[in-house]
Amino acid sequence: MRKIFPAEELARDSRFIRQSNEARFSDPRGARVGGGSAASTKLTPEQANGPDRARALMHGIFVGEIQALEGAGRTCFDFEVGEDVPFELKLDMARQCWDEARHCEISVALADHMGTELGEYAENTTLYEAACNPDPVLRLTGVNRALEGLAIDVFSTMKEFGNLAGDPVLEFCEDWMLADEVTHVKMGSDWLRSLTAKDPERRSKALEFQRVVDKLFSFSGFRGDDEDSPIKLTRQFRSLAGFTDDEVDDIADLAREAKAEAATA
Amino acid sequence: MLDIEVTPNEFTMVFFDAAVIAEVAADVAVKVGLPEDLKLSLIVDEGSPLGRSRVSSYDPIEFTIDGGAFEDTRRPRNLSKARTADVLGRLMYRVIDRSSGQFDDAPEDGDIDLALHAAWDAHSVGRLERLGFSPQRKRRVYQFRNRHGFTDRADQAFEELWGSSELSWADIERLSTGCRA
Repeated sequence: MRKIFPAEELARDSRFIRQSNEARFSDPRGARVGGGSAASTKLTPEQANGPDRARALMHGIFVGEIQALEGAGRTCFDFEVGEDVPFELKLDMARQCWDEARHCEISVALADHMGTELGEYAENTTLYEAACNPDPVLRLTGVNRALEGLAIDVFSTMKEFGNLAGDPVLEFCEDWMLADEVTHVKMGSDWLRSLTAKDPERRSKALEFQRVVDKLFSFSGFRGDDEDSPIKLTRQFRSLAGFTDDEVDDIADLAREAKAEAATA
Repeated sequence: MLDIEVTPNEFTMVFFDAAVIAEVAADVAVKVGLPEDLKLSLIVDEGSPLGRSRVSSYDPIEFTIDGGAFEDTRRPRNLSKARTADVLGRLMYRVIDRSSGQFDDAPEDGDIDLALHAAWDAHSVGRLERLGFSPQRKRRVYQFRNRHGFTDRADQAFEELWGSSELSWADIERLSTGCRA
């Protein structure tokens, strides 16, 4: 079996249609996420299009869970124990596969609950592409700290949405998945620090890669630290997951930067 | 035959064809029973990827629609005939309902709260589904529950709205207000 599996060849059935990054970012109406854009206000049930935005966002999460499962699975396989990574890192990735598979099943049930068809929205494979980095430290930093960190923010927002709407199914599902995501981000933080303890240059490269992914996935400020950000940075859970206050501030600054760039584009 | 005007005539940000939208609108109008001597203006905001749509005028009849409402969510920027038909059918039922005499006491669309909008939409889309339009019952249940509560009482009210062929505004108001959490 080959190592570093290309995103173009990920297995999907005919329900799923892929949208390239080029197509997504060349849309003259602005790149979108979860039925909204950076110009959208905070996602709440009181908005006229709130339920439909929630459905679109949860579908994005669903395909993200599939790709996270594929990415963690690849990390179990792509690297050699001893030469590339410690055995315990693979164990963590195996546990993450188990979690992501469960999240896929929860997301399928949630899609049914919210009236969404599987494959109803275009799939973008940027998450999996970040999981193709040949350096395991960069891969874990990009996926576990940046993207799973984003998942913490999204799940917190959706949990609040479920609470405000009086939807116990959404609220509890988000809470359970959120607990796992905090663990995944903590794994990324722990392995970043442990594997680069004596290699500051590699750590610096990994953090730079995380900045690139974080900026890309702030979706022109869609996810940010401002009160009206559609998806809000979650400081408390990020702290539990091994982020320092300075690191969260840095992500908030990146989001503002991306929002300002989008506004002047 | 219905006189349909689509604005803009040519789209530059999305891959929509005004003639195709007009064709879909004509087909839907016949199916839902919109009078043939009407003039219908469709104003499409192609720069908006959101999905809002409304009857912006009842006389003359004018619908104002975000381009995103007509978009194929699997293939962004491309037109979905099915979604276009769903949106137009729902708005056409508003026109039909308001001209039926059973909705004379309904407030202006802009003054109707989100729960009543969801209730009226459920009644309209239920009728559309029975005419063979794309199924979206679960999506509408979810919207209705968001506005009325995730309760058995709300689900029962939804069933009545969805399954009825000819409700009055008073019926919709009664069902919506009677089940709110």
